[in-house]
Amino acid sequence: MIAQSLSDLWYGFSVALMPQNLMWSFFGVLIGNLIGVLPGMGALTAISMLLPLTYSMHAVPAILMLAGIFYGSQYGGAIGAILLNLPSHPPHAVSCLDGYPMTQHGRGGAALGITMIASFFAASFGITVMVFASPLLVQIAFKLGPAEIFSVMLLGLLAGATMSRGSPLKGVAMTVFGLLIGVVGTDVNTGAQRFTFGFTELADRVELVALAMGIFGIGDFLRSVNRIHFAGHEAKVRFKDMRPTKAELKRSFMPMLRGTLIGTLFGAMPGTGPTITTFIAYAVERKVSRHPERFGHGAIEGVASPEAASHSKTQVDFIPTMSLGIPGDSVMALLLGALLIQGITPGPQLITEHADLFWGLIASFWVGNVLLIILNVPLIGLWVKMLQVPYRFLFPSALLFIAVGVYSTNNSLFEVTEVLFFGVVGAILMALEFPVAPILLGYVLGPLVEENFRRAVLLARGDLSVFVTRPISAAFIAAALALIVGQLVLGWRARRSLKRMQPA
Amino acid sequence: MRNAFKTVVASILLAGGLLAAGQALADEPYPSHVVQVIVPFPPGGVADLTGRPVTAGLSKILKQSFVLINRPGAGGSLGASMVVNAKPDGYTLLMALASVSTNPEADRVAGRPATFELNQLVPIALVSADPTILMVRAESPYKTLADLVADAKKRPGEINYSSSGNYGTYHVATEMFTHVAGIELKHIPYGGGGPALNAILAGQVDVGLLGPSVAIAQIKAGKMRALASWGGKRLASLPEVPTLKELGYNVEYYIWSGLFAPAGTPEPIVATLRNAMKGVVVDDDFKMVMDKLETPIVYMDAPEFKQFWDEDAKRLIEVVRKIGKIE
Repeated sequence: MIAQSLSDLWYGFSVALMPQNLMWSFFGVLIGNLIGVLPGMGALTAISMLLPLTYSMHAVPAILMLAGIFYGSQYGGAIGAILLNLPSHPPHAVSCLDGYPMTQHGRGGAALGITMIASFFAASFGITVMVFASPLLVQIAFKLGPAEIFSVMLLGLLAGATMSRGSPLKGVAMTVFGLLIGVVGTDVNTGAQRFTFGFTELADRVELVALAMGIFGIGDFLRSVNRIHFAGHEAKVRFKDMRPTKAELKRSFMPMLRGTLIGTLFGAMPGTGPTITTFIAYAVERKVSRHPERFGHGAIEGVASPEAASHSKTQVDFIPTMSLGIPGDSVMALLLGALLIQGITPGPQLITEHADLFWGLIASFWVGNVLLIILNVPLIGLWVKMLQVPYRFLFPSALLFIAVGVYSTNNSLFEVTEVLFFGVVGAILMALEFPVAPILLGYVLGPLVEENFRRAVLLARGDLSVFVTRPISAAFIAAALALIVGQLVLGWRARRSLKRMQPA
Repeated sequence: MRNAFKTVVASILLAGGLLAAGQALADEPYPSHVVQVIVPFPPGGVADLTGRPVTAGLSKILKQSFVLINRPGAGGSLGASMVVNAKPDGYTLLMALASVSTNPEADRVAGRPATFELNQLVPIALVSADPTILMVRAESPYKTLADLVADAKKRPGEINYSSSGNYGTYHVATEMFTHVAGIELKHIPYGGGGPALNAILAGQVDVGLLGPSVAIAQIKAGKMRALASWGGKRLASLPEVPTLKELGYNVEYYIWSGLFAPAGTPEPIVATLRNAMKGVVVDDDFKMVMDKLETPIVYMDAPEFKQFWDEDAKRLIEVVRKIGKIE
């Protein structure tokens, strides 16, 4: 079994390293990286733009190129999030939390460096899992029905709601606000439109990219106008600043490992999406850290873990897409479409019928990641230099790109209005010192929790005990309870020790 | 000074010339500039995949760019309403799927005003029509459709089926069949075709529907079994799968795609487009792409398509009314 996988993989590398394939892979990574850096442009935009090009191409180079674009734009998205607080790829919103403060302290280059290392490590791990454990993961995925997904998401929601710094009450309030925004749109179970106020555009929910860019990027912009002259540290950037220090590398190692595992775990749950994965990775990191107070002020662990999680999740997400023909998200759906154009129907027979494509793709994932590193070692300096562009130029150009990028999600002006609206909301909330990240968490998790809860109950004919009688679901419910009880006990102890200290 | 004067005269002459040219451009036969073809679904879906070779073919035949624009939202309603509200000059067209017929009715049933009406669209050509197929997992106890119907009669409403969403393709097709068969299956809506397929494979639901190309892939891999198809006759690619019609259930359902223009588009322009589509469907490049997509070309010119659409829409609207508002 393993020997077979290895020889297949070897064959895959021979396909991926053919000069022509390698060239397309590089082209994809480069274009993806460049498009991904532009605020508002994510993998979806980049792939949609270049999809028509694949019509006249052979299947293997076409898919390798698209996969390259996918990677490149994902990494490019991290650059915008860390340097400019602009999460054009929503999973990177979490990286804003500590990546942007790092930039403000002049450590933006180091944050990018650690992102690069974490994503390479996580992707390599994900690829290994893909090669050796695909059938196993598919089996696990089948065990996770609506009841299990509900329980996992509930745990995620609880863990996430308590992760923000500052007043816990404000954090919970923002999570609930996010849940409310998540309710807007067509209810999957009944087809009823909720809180759309007659806007047909809202039938498909509030646009995730518009929400993320609005509350993070635009909100921050609006607050900074006329206050700062440069986005980053005003001192000159030295080459030394671009590399993570030894201490930083050491601090990042365990978070990177944990992030990778979390990403792999979530990869086995199709349809959960990378944004949740990164939030959970961040929340876990904060929970296990001995210095949780450093989070939100530029803790490098808060960058390493979510970035690793996002990349291993994306990697593992390819398993259901390629081996079952079931896309995990809209980007995967687009890649499936690209395969269909090539006359390849993704499904269980793909691996045997199109061995060159499948193994070539897997090998190209790794090659693509190596290319990304080669490309970005010299480029990081360039990206950081971008921060020295005076704010009065940087801000309007970023705004323009955001508008273009958000417009391109649905080819509609409505989304541009949305991003502006959420920008104003974000600015007000930031001024009142509300954390904005939980909004995004609530928005992404809420519908998943609700949909899966109702679907599970529908399948069980209204029997609520389904959540505790199914063992996997029960385990997660128990963990969620433990989390609440633990939180209460901790709070009670803290209060008691405070009381004891007062008389002294 | 002299030179300046010359420049002014030259510019005036040039401007006049351009103006005249512009005038001539306006009088030029359709299409004199870029035509937008709106696909009301995201890239990578059925409408997008069949729409791209159609726009490529039209560009080739009419020697003008036909650009495909994805305008997804509200189950296709958004893109369709955008087209019906565009100027009916032939420069904004719609590449729609069968679901366009039920969009307005689904809105009304849910108590909302419809975003557009069917008579605001003029059919130009039908491009493809694939029947849906009833599928079960390979391990399922149902070997034939009769097994399923017999069990459903014994346990009404206890057998689950997954769909891509309320009033969507799979939902409407299944309800159409269960009404005729006099059985009741429990509808479990999932958000999209992918999750619905996953639900069948993972055993969360007992039965489900698929389009032919996806169904063939799953059957070939030995993961699933087909019980019946909604087609008028058996599929060439799945000759052993009976149609519901031959099994005694008089229902038909197709996932079709076709080109539409907004109502009020001048007759000569519609004629130009109809002629062009006649050429597109026999074009080698077009046939090659459709072949790769494993989507058989089912071409109908406007009059025939109109008749087909009227009948199809009537059937579908009836089903949506029967389903009614979902509580």
